[in-house]
Amino acid sequence: MTLLELDGIETYYGESHILEGVSLSVGEGEVVALVGRNGVGKTTTLRSILQLTPPREGSITYRDEQLVGLETHEVADRGVGWIPEDRRIFSQLTVAENIRVAVPDRAAVDAALSLAYDTFPILEERQGQDAGTLSGGQQQMLALARGLVGDNDLLLVDEPSEGLAPQIVADVGEALAEAARDTTLLLVEQNLPLALDLADRFYVLDNGRVVDDGDAEEVSADSDRLRRYLSA
Amino acid sequence: MTAVADPALADAGLALADATPGSVFAASVLQTGFFAGLAEFLRPSNLAGVLVNGLAKSALFVMIAAGLSLIFGLLGVLNFAHGSLTMIGAYLGGLVMVVLVGGATGAWARLGYFLVALVVVFAALAVLGLVVEVGLIRQLYDSPPIYQILLTFGVTLVLEELVRIVVSFYGLQPISDWQEALGTKPAFLARQTTLGPVTVRGLALFEILLGALTVVGIWLFLTRTRYGLFIRAGSEDDEMAAALGIDVRRVFTVVFALGSALAGIAGALLMWDPVWGASVPLAAETLLPAFVVVIIGGLGTFRGTVVGAVIVGMADAVTTWWFVNVVTWTWLPEVTVFLILVGMLVVRPQGLYGVEEVGGH
Repeated sequence: MTLLELDGIETYYGESHILEGVSLSVGEGEVVALVGRNGVGKTTTLRSILQLTPPREGSITYRDEQLVGLETHEVADRGVGWIPEDRRIFSQLTVAENIRVAVPDRAAVDAALSLAYDTFPILEERQGQDAGTLSGGQQQMLALARGLVGDNDLLLVDEPSEGLAPQIVADVGEALAEAARDTTLLLVEQNLPLALDLADRFYVLDNGRVVDDGDAEEVSADSDRLRRYLSA
Repeated sequence: MTAVADPALADAGLALADATPGSVFAASVLQTGFFAGLAEFLRPSNLAGVLVNGLAKSALFVMIAAGLSLIFGLLGVLNFAHGSLTMIGAYLGGLVMVVLVGGATGAWARLGYFLVALVVVFAALAVLGLVVEVGLIRQLYDSPPIYQILLTFGVTLVLEELVRIVVSFYGLQPISDWQEALGTKPAFLARQTTLGPVTVRGLALFEILLGALTVVGIWLFLTRTRYGLFIRAGSEDDEMAAALGIDVRRVFTVVFALGSALAGIAGALLMWDPVWGASVPLAAETLLPAFVVVIIGGLGTFRGTVVGAVIVGMADAVTTWWFVNVVTWTWLPEVTVFLILVGMLVVRPQGLYGVEEVGGH
């Protein structure tokens, strides 16, 4: 069953035409990787879904409901979560407050904190600390935890391994694999081994257009098919 | 300007003869000497008096500036109409008191009526703030800041003119303090009270109490409530907050209404203070120190606003003592506060606790 469907979306920043008719679909329970070079429109695709940068044309349906025209918080209310590229943790809130703010149901806060701390034990040690004082890797763990506790059916994950040490990348991959058991993921990731390891299907974006797509298994053995779009 | 106000200094032969302002300054410094003034300043009774006055001024400044700071922190809007909201709060609070208080009303009843006035002012100014935000400010969130400044400046002109018309219609002088409202305060607030070595105004203690309650109330709201968490998150990153399901626009409206209500509460308190009083110029008189406080503390941080208010209040009280009792240039305390502001802008433009970029959008 299709959970999310983008059909011919055209998105602009001012007069800059970023997405030129992007169409893709994500089935319920799938992990779909969106890959491509820097600046081809991957993050803009996620921002378009969230209505942070609404498309001027095209449609985005989630559970057969049109998202274009909704406010961002209304998209989030429908169960679409976001783990952004640059973490965007609330640096002046404590670690625990960063998690609490992501939980829509007040009664579910304790369970959410437990989930976050079970996934990343270091966060429990730092729970009373201002999030801005965490290391880069710990901030990424907090950003992931904040996305995971949000009771979302679809998570939009943007470059979760960017700038992280290999051991932390492995922890992040493990957490995403765990999340994928009961959450649908649309994953933007330049770390190809990580993306293909997690994904069921992939789309390749180039210059604002989808130029290739297929099953992840098809390209794990034939990664040159992807690399020609990923190399500078 | 030419007489030394402190009797102790006058007895010590420190009073100044009539002279021109410039020569008074030079002569007074020479005649009194820094150390004589310092010795007098350090007497426990003077020091305690300055401390209480400083805290009372700090309390008023934090009440005036808190709403301005909250609104800027979340919405990124520098609200030039803030002083007008304080002025309206002063008149509205005065109106409630004048209507409710009669000549025979006892002191505690007057205090009770003042609480009623605070509730009325809080509610009315919150509604006014809500209308201004939804009807006007909301249209300009995505516009350059100059549009918001011009809009709020226009709002202040409109509000001041409306109040001037209404006040004049009822036979009051818009530029003079509303004496009838000043006279509604309980007798124990109007009297001097002796506490140990120091004699202080009862109203100063009341101002400190109300200021402290306001700070604690806002702090608890911001740190212990879910809505406070949303406000702090939205102040840092409104896009991320919205992506987590927070209706940031509604939070904006609530904060603008709350900030307006706080401005009104400050006005209701100032209505009783003979140094301020309910008058149309109160709008400008309060806007300026509010800006100084939030700039020194750091635009948009509540902690910075509290610290900024204490710095400005204490600096004002200390310099007032010196320039009234020793140097006798009574307008200099205000200059000192602005010198602190200039120094802060040169050394640390973002203020004590400010970050370089504030505002949720």
